Amino acid sequence: MEWSTTQHFWLILACFAVAFLPRLLPLLFFRTREIPVWFNEWMTYVPVSLFTALVVKDLFINPSYQISIVDKTPELIAAVLVIAIAYWTRSMTISVVLGLAAVFILAMFF
Amino acid sequence: MAKNMARSDEQLPYWRRILNVSLPVDLSYIPIGLACGILLHASGFNIYMTALVSVLVFSGGAQFLIASLLATNAPMYSVVLMLFFLELRYALLGSSLSKYLHGKSLGFTTIFAASMNDENYAINYLKFSTDKNFTPRDALNVEHYTLAFWTVSNVIGSIIGSAITINLTVVHFALTALFLYMIVMQLKNGLIIFICIISGILAAICMAITKTTLGLVISTLIASFIGFALEATIRKNHPRSKILRSMKNPAGSPEDVKD
Repeated sequence: MEWSTTQHFWLILACFAVAFLPRLLPLLFFRTREIPVWFNEWMTYVPVSLFTALVVKDLFINPSYQISIVDKTPELIAAVLVIAIAYWTRSMTISVVLGLAAVFILAMFF
Repeated sequence: MAKNMARSDEQLPYWRRILNVSLPVDLSYIPIGLACGILLHASGFNIYMTALVSVLVFSGGAQFLIASLLATNAPMYSVVLMLFFLELRYALLGSSLSKYLHGKSLGFTTIFAASMNDENYAINYLKFSTDKNFTPRDALNVEHYTLAFWTVSNVIGSIIGSAITINLTVVHFALTALFLYMIVMQLKNGLIIFICIISGILAAICMAITKTTLGLVISTLIASFIGFALEATIRKNHPRSKILRSMKNPAGSPEDVKD
């Protein structure tokens, strides 16, 4: 299915709304109040759970939503490299750029 | 880096001082923005839509996700729902910066919230907590510098994508690498690592069952709730448990200055 520019436009506006409200509401609300402890504690686990789920989707789920690692060897090796690089350098750019380079090179061998 | 900035601060014009503060993020946005622009182009976004999404959504992870979901023909509600959960983490960032925005107008706060994201948040939080002369106005300017670099990189990526053919599976890995990096940055104790593993297993199962990206939302909700419940239980019964102890950061962590 090919989307039209108008559909893209509405998609962007909807995405803007869901991206903007989580940024704005706490900033407004907590300018004058204390942050509830349960909210903070729950929020500790939302990002890491979602990021992991997204990585699992990229590495272990094929386009027809089956668990599979067929043809994923370059990505899997590069993923291990990225984790090590991110851990030692704490740099987003170095992690992403070296990760891309690793996949590019590994894709020639597998 | 911080020492360098402090020394040269006095004689530099204002725009250069802000540029110096935002530069690490500005530079990191160039390769990632290019990759993102290329992918958005491949998923059908024209150059204006790419510019618009970069300004309005302004989030690397979110824009990569839009590109990758559009490529798999996900329905609009699914894209928006996934994005909502992805962007929910900004609630946490917003809450932690809110104490520095006391007394600011509704208009200022709105504009500030609109262009806040992970990276400029990290810079601003560090500056607010270590530099007493750093004002909300400075922080807003840092946001706008990073926004400019991000948008221009995305637009150039879109042009590159339309000019030459690129191996998209390789570029697509930028998203995976970005999320892997963000996971590693979150791994502060044993419990978080455990939740990470649980979330991964749940995500695979949920997606295999639901056959849609909705599985990601379900697994995120379950995994984050398990984490929340486990932490509460461990704190109550074993307050000195090793699993909650912070791990050493190999790069060292910045120290907060209490005011």
